[in-house]
Amino acid sequence: MASAPPPSAAELYRPNRYVSLPAELDPATYDTSPEKLRAEAERLAIRSRLKRQYLLQLNDPNAPAIIENPALIRWAYAKSQNVYPTFRPTPRTSFLGAVYGLAPFLFWIFVLKADRDRKEKRIQEGKHKPSPLSVFL
Amino acid sequence: SEMSKDMMPGPYPRTPEERAAAAKKYNMRVEDYQPYPDDGLGYGDYPMLPNKSQYERDPWYQWDQPDMRHNWGEPMHWNFDMYIRNRVDTSPTVVPWHTMSKHFLLFLSIMLIMFGLGEIYPSYRPVGPKQYPFNDLYLERGGDPNKKPPAVIHYEI
Repeated sequence: MASAPPPSAAELYRPNRYVSLPAELDPATYDTSPEKLRAEAERLAIRSRLKRQYLLQLNDPNAPAIIENPALIRWAYAKSQNVYPTFRPTPRTSFLGAVYGLAPFLFWIFVLKADRDRKEKRIQEGKHKPSPLSVFL
Repeated sequence: SEMSKDMMPGPYPRTPEERAAAAKKYNMRVEDYQPYPDDGLGYGDYPMLPNKSQYERDPWYQWDQPDMRHNWGEPMHWNFDMYIRNRVDTSPTVVPWHTMSKHFLLFLSIMLIMFGLGEIYPSYRPVGPKQYPFNDLYLERGGDPNKKPPAVIHYEI
Protein backbone atom coordinates (compact mmCIF):
# COMPACT_ATOMS: atom_id res chain seq x y z
CA MET A 1 0.00 0.00 0.00
CA ALA A 2 1.61 3.26 -1.12
CA SER A 3 1.46 6.20 1.26
CA ALA A 4 0.37 9.62 0.05
CA PRO A 5 3.11 12.00 -1.13
CA PRO A 6 4.21 14.47 1.57
CA PRO A 7 2.09 17.66 1.57
CA SER A 8 3.45 20.43 -0.59
CA ALA A 9 4.56 23.71 0.93
CA ALA A 10 1.51 25.43 -0.54
CA GLU A 11 -0.79 22.92 1.17
CA LEU A 12 1.04 23.37 4.46
CA TYR A 13 0.62 27.13 4.24
CA ARG A 14 -3.20 26.95 3.72
CA PRO A 15 -3.97 30.41 2.29
CA ASN A 16 -7.41 31.69 3.26
CA ARG A 17 -9.56 34.78 3.06
CA TYR A 18 -7.12 36.90 5.07
CA VAL A 19 -3.73 35.96 3.58
CA SER A 20 -2.80 34.86 0.11
CA LEU A 21 -0.18 32.36 -0.94
CA PRO A 22 3.33 33.82 -1.34
CA ALA A 23 4.58 33.76 -4.90
CA GLU A 24 7.52 31.53 -3.99
CA LEU A 25 5.23 28.69 -2.87
CA ASP A 26 2.83 28.99 -5.79
CA PRO A 27 3.62 26.43 -8.52
CA ALA A 28 2.20 28.79 -11.15
CA THR A 29 5.26 31.06 -10.85
CA TYR A 30 7.55 28.28 -11.95
CA ASP A 31 5.65 27.01 -14.97
CA THR A 32 6.98 28.38 -18.25
CA SER A 33 4.65 26.59 -20.66
CA PRO A 34 3.83 28.27 -23.99
CA GLU A 35 0.17 28.71 -22.99
CA LYS A 36 1.20 30.75 -20.02
CA LEU A 37 3.56 32.82 -22.13
CA ARG A 38 0.80 33.47 -24.68
CA ALA A 39 -1.61 34.46 -21.92
CA GLU A 40 0.97 36.84 -20.46
CA ALA A 41 1.59 38.32 -23.92
CA GLU A 42 -2.13 38.93 -24.44
CA ARG A 43 -2.46 40.59 -21.06
CA LEU A 44 0.56 42.74 -21.81
CA ALA A 45 -1.01 43.78 -25.12
CA ILE A 46 -4.22 44.86 -23.37
CA ARG A 47 -2.26 46.68 -20.69
CA SER A 48 -0.07 48.55 -23.12
CA ARG A 49 -3.07 49.58 -25.24
CA LEU A 50 -4.74 51.05 -22.17
CA LYS A 51 -1.53 52.75 -21.07
CA ARG A 52 -1.12 54.29 -24.52
CA GLN A 53 -4.66 55.69 -24.41
CA TYR A 54 -4.03 57.09 -20.95
CA LEU A 55 -0.68 58.68 -21.77
CA LEU A 56 -2.04 60.24 -24.96
CA GLN A 57 -4.74 61.95 -22.94
CA LEU A 58 -2.34 62.89 -20.14
CA ASN A 59 0.25 64.57 -22.37
CA ASP A 60 -2.23 66.15 -24.75
CA PRO A 61 -1.74 69.97 -24.87
CA ASN A 62 -5.44 70.50 -25.67
CA ALA A 63 -6.26 68.12 -22.86
CA PRO A 64 -9.61 67.98 -21.06
CA ALA A 65 -9.26 68.95 -17.41
CA ILE A 66 -10.28 65.55 -16.02
CA ILE A 67 -9.33 62.24 -17.61
CA GLU A 68 -12.25 60.05 -16.65
CA ASN A 69 -11.50 56.42 -15.97
CA PRO A 70 -14.15 54.14 -17.52
CA ALA A 71 -13.18 51.34 -15.14
CA LEU A 72 -13.97 53.58 -12.18
CA ILE A 73 -17.29 54.67 -13.71
CA ARG A 74 -18.23 51.05 -14.38
CA TRP A 75 -17.27 50.06 -10.82
CA ALA A 76 -19.35 52.84 -9.28
CA TYR A 77 -22.30 52.04 -11.55
CA ALA A 78 -22.09 48.31 -10.81
CA LYS A 79 -22.09 48.87 -7.07
CA SER A 80 -24.89 51.41 -6.99
CA GLN A 81 -27.25 51.31 -9.96
CA ASN A 82 -26.75 47.79 -11.24
CA VAL A 83 -27.70 46.06 -8.02
CA TYR A 84 -31.47 46.52 -8.18
CA PRO A 85 -31.92 45.33 -11.81
CA THR A 86 -29.81 42.25 -11.23
CA PHE A 87 -31.31 41.35 -7.86
CA ARG A 88 -33.53 38.29 -7.76
CA PRO A 89 -35.42 37.01 -4.70
CA THR A 90 -34.09 33.53 -3.96
CA PRO A 91 -34.34 31.56 -0.70
CA ARG A 92 -30.85 32.69 0.22
CA THR A 93 -31.38 36.38 -0.49
CA SER A 94 -34.73 36.36 1.33
CA PHE A 95 -33.11 34.73 4.35
CA LEU A 96 -30.21 37.17 4.35
CA GLY A 97 -32.60 40.09 3.95
CA ALA A 98 -34.63 38.96 6.95
CA VAL A 99 -31.52 38.41 9.09
CA TYR A 100 -29.78 41.67 8.27
CA GLY A 101 -32.79 43.87 7.67
CA LEU A 102 -35.63 42.81 9.95
CA ALA A 103 -33.93 41.00 12.82
CA PRO A 104 -31.98 43.93 14.35
CA PHE A 105 -35.10 46.11 14.17
CA LEU A 106 -37.30 43.56 15.92
CA PHE A 107 -34.57 42.66 18.40
CA TRP A 108 -34.12 46.24 19.56
CA ILE A 109 -37.89 46.78 19.72
CA PHE A 110 -38.25 43.90 22.17
CA VAL A 111 -35.16 44.72 24.20
CA LEU A 112 -36.02 48.38 24.69
CA LYS A 113 -39.66 47.63 25.44
CA ALA A 114 -38.72 45.02 28.06
CA ASP A 115 -36.26 47.44 29.64
CA ARG A 116 -38.85 50.21 29.82
CA ASP A 117 -41.47 47.86 31.29
CA ARG A 118 -39.03 46.74 33.96
CA LYS A 119 -38.22 50.34 34.86
CA GLU A 120 -41.92 51.24 34.98
CA LYS A 121 -42.60 48.32 37.33
CA ARG A 122 -39.76 49.47 39.59
CA ILE A 123 -41.06 53.04 39.66
CA GLN A 124 -44.55 51.87 40.57
CA GLU A 125 -43.16 49.66 43.33
CA GLY A 126 -41.28 52.70 44.58
CA LYS A 127 -37.78 51.29 44.17
CA HIS A 128 -36.57 53.85 41.60
CA LYS A 129 -37.10 57.59 41.91
CA PRO A 130 -36.25 59.57 38.76
CA SER A 131 -33.97 62.51 39.58
CA PRO A 132 -35.52 66.00 39.71
CA LEU A 133 -33.42 66.98 36.67
CA SER A 134 -34.78 64.16 34.51
CA VAL A 135 -37.07 65.22 31.67
CA PHE A 136 -38.15 61.63 30.88
CA LEU A 137 -40.32 59.30 32.91
CA SER B 1 -21.03 60.85 -18.49
CA GLU B 2 -21.04 60.10 -22.17
CA MET B 3 -20.54 56.35 -21.95
CA SER B 4 -23.11 54.37 -23.91
CA LYS B 5 -25.36 51.79 -22.30
CA ASP B 6 -23.41 48.84 -23.60
CA MET B 7 -20.22 50.10 -21.95
CA MET B 8 -21.87 49.92 -18.52
CA PRO B 9 -22.24 46.78 -16.42
CA GLY B 10 -25.35 44.76 -17.19
CA PRO B 11 -27.07 41.51 -16.24
CA TYR B 12 -25.36 38.15 -15.88
CA PRO B 13 -24.05 36.88 -19.22
CA ARG B 14 -25.75 33.68 -20.38
CA THR B 15 -24.38 32.90 -23.84
CA PRO B 16 -20.68 32.67 -24.80
CA GLU B 17 -21.12 35.71 -27.09
CA GLU B 18 -22.35 37.75 -24.13
CA ARG B 19 -19.37 36.57 -22.11
CA ALA B 20 -16.96 37.58 -24.85
CA ALA B 21 -18.63 40.99 -25.18
CA ALA B 22 -18.51 41.48 -21.42
CA ALA B 23 -14.81 40.52 -21.30
CA LYS B 24 -14.06 43.04 -24.04
CA LYS B 25 -16.09 45.68 -22.21
CA TYR B 26 -14.09 45.20 -19.01
CA ASN B 27 -10.72 45.10 -20.85
CA MET B 28 -10.01 41.50 -19.88
CA ARG B 29 -9.12 38.34 -21.76
CA VAL B 30 -12.07 36.03 -22.42
CA GLU B 31 -10.31 33.21 -20.52
CA ASP B 32 -9.61 35.48 -17.55
CA TYR B 33 -13.17 36.82 -17.36
CA GLN B 34 -15.16 35.01 -14.67
CA PRO B 35 -18.39 36.67 -13.48
CA TYR B 36 -19.77 36.18 -9.99
CA PRO B 37 -22.13 33.19 -9.72
CA ASP B 38 -25.70 34.07 -10.63
CA ASP B 39 -27.16 34.01 -7.13
CA GLY B 40 -29.46 36.99 -7.45
CA LEU B 41 -27.30 38.98 -5.04
CA GLY B 42 -26.92 41.92 -7.42
CA TYR B 43 -23.46 41.42 -8.95
CA GLY B 44 -24.64 41.20 -12.57
CA ASP B 45 -21.83 40.60 -15.01
CA TYR B 46 -19.10 42.22 -12.94
CA PRO B 47 -15.91 40.11 -13.09
CA MET B 48 -14.76 38.17 -10.05
CA LEU B 49 -11.13 39.15 -9.53
CA PRO B 50 -8.81 37.41 -7.02
CA ASN B 51 -9.25 38.73 -3.49
CA LYS B 52 -5.86 40.36 -3.17
CA SER B 53 -5.23 43.74 -1.63
CA GLN B 54 -3.38 46.53 -3.40
CA TYR B 55 -0.45 45.97 -1.06
CA GLU B 56 0.48 42.83 -2.96
CA ARG B 57 1.06 44.66 -6.22
CA ASP B 58 4.55 45.50 -7.33
CA PRO B 59 5.69 48.71 -5.60
CA TRP B 60 8.37 49.39 -8.21
CA TYR B 61 6.24 49.30 -11.35
CA GLN B 62 5.15 52.64 -12.81
CA TRP B 63 1.45 52.57 -12.07
CA ASP B 64 -0.78 55.29 -13.54
CA GLN B 65 -2.08 55.92 -10.02
CA PRO B 66 0.84 55.04 -7.73
CA ASP B 67 -0.97 55.45 -4.41
CA MET B 68 -3.73 53.07 -5.46
CA ARG B 69 -1.34 50.84 -7.46
CA HIS B 70 -3.93 50.82 -10.21
CA ASN B 71 -3.72 51.42 -13.95
CA TRP B 72 -6.16 53.44 -16.04
CA GLY B 73 -8.88 51.22 -17.45
CA GLU B 74 -7.91 48.16 -15.43
CA PRO B 75 -10.96 46.36 -13.98
CA MET B 76 -11.32 47.18 -10.29
CA HIS B 77 -12.16 44.61 -7.66
CA TRP B 78 -15.72 44.71 -6.31
CA ASN B 79 -14.30 45.53 -2.88
CA PHE B 80 -11.64 47.88 -4.24
CA ASP B 81 -12.25 50.47 -1.54
CA MET B 82 -11.62 47.82 1.10
CA TYR B 83 -8.37 46.62 -0.46
CA ILE B 84 -6.62 50.00 -0.69
CA ARG B 85 -3.36 50.40 1.12
CA ASN B 86 -4.85 52.18 4.11
CA ARG B 87 -7.23 49.32 4.85
CA VAL B 88 -7.30 45.55 4.53
CA ASP B 89 -3.99 43.94 3.63
CA THR B 90 -3.88 40.35 2.42
CA SER B 91 -0.11 40.13 1.94
CA PRO B 92 1.33 36.69 2.69
CA THR B 93 2.60 36.37 6.26
CA VAL B 94 5.86 34.78 7.36
CA VAL B 95 4.04 32.29 9.57
CA PRO B 96 0.91 30.54 8.18
CA TRP B 97 -2.40 31.91 9.41
CA HIS B 98 -3.56 28.69 11.06
CA THR B 99 -0.33 28.47 13.10
CA MET B 100 -0.64 32.07 14.22
CA SER B 101 -4.27 31.75 15.22
CA LYS B 102 -3.60 28.47 17.05
CA HIS B 103 -0.75 30.01 19.08
CA PHE B 104 -2.73 33.12 19.90
CA LEU B 105 -5.91 31.32 20.92
CA LEU B 106 -4.03 28.77 23.02
CA PHE B 107 -2.16 31.51 24.87
CA LEU B 108 -5.27 33.60 25.40
CA SER B 109 -7.42 30.70 26.58
CA ILE B 110 -4.76 29.34 28.97
CA MET B 111 -4.22 32.78 30.50
CA LEU B 112 -7.94 33.41 30.89
CA ILE B 113 -8.54 29.97 32.43
CA MET B 114 -5.71 30.44 34.90
CA PHE B 115 -6.92 33.91 35.90
CA GLY B 116 -10.42 32.56 36.33
CA LEU B 117 -9.20 29.71 38.51
CA GLY B 118 -7.23 32.23 40.55
CA GLU B 119 -10.42 34.19 41.18
CA ILE B 120 -12.41 31.13 42.23
CA TYR B 121 -9.67 29.58 44.40
CA PRO B 122 -7.54 32.48 45.67
CA SER B 123 -4.28 31.59 47.38
CA TYR B 124 -2.22 33.92 49.59
CA ARG B 125 -0.22 33.92 52.86
CA PRO B 126 -2.36 33.79 56.04
CA VAL B 127 -3.49 37.25 57.15
CA GLY B 128 -5.16 38.63 60.30
CA PRO B 129 -6.93 41.93 61.10
CA LYS B 130 -4.68 44.99 61.34
CA GLN B 131 -3.66 45.99 64.86
CA TYR B 132 -3.55 49.71 65.69
CA PRO B 133 -1.46 51.16 68.61
CA PHE B 134 -2.55 53.64 71.36
CA ASN B 135 -5.68 51.67 72.31
CA ASP B 136 -6.93 51.44 68.75
CA LEU B 137 -6.05 55.11 68.07
CA TYR B 138 -8.50 56.31 70.70
CA LEU B 139 -7.43 59.98 70.70
CA GLU B 140 -6.97 60.17 66.91
CA ARG B 141 -10.46 58.85 66.35
CA GLY B 142 -11.95 61.64 68.42
CA GLY B 143 -12.07 60.06 71.85
CA ASP B 144 -12.46 62.28 74.93
CA PRO B 145 -8.94 63.07 76.35
CA ASN B 146 -10.24 63.46 79.89
CA LYS B 147 -11.80 60.01 80.08
CA LYS B 148 -9.76 56.85 80.44
CA PRO B 149 -9.71 54.95 77.14
CA PRO B 150 -10.81 51.30 77.06
CA ALA B 151 -7.71 49.16 77.23
CA VAL B 152 -6.97 47.27 74.02
CA ILE B 153 -4.25 44.62 74.36
CA HIS B 154 -3.06 42.81 71.20
CA TYR B 155 -0.66 40.34 72.82
CA GLU B 156 -0.71 37.40 75.15
CA ILE B 157 2.07 36.48 77.47
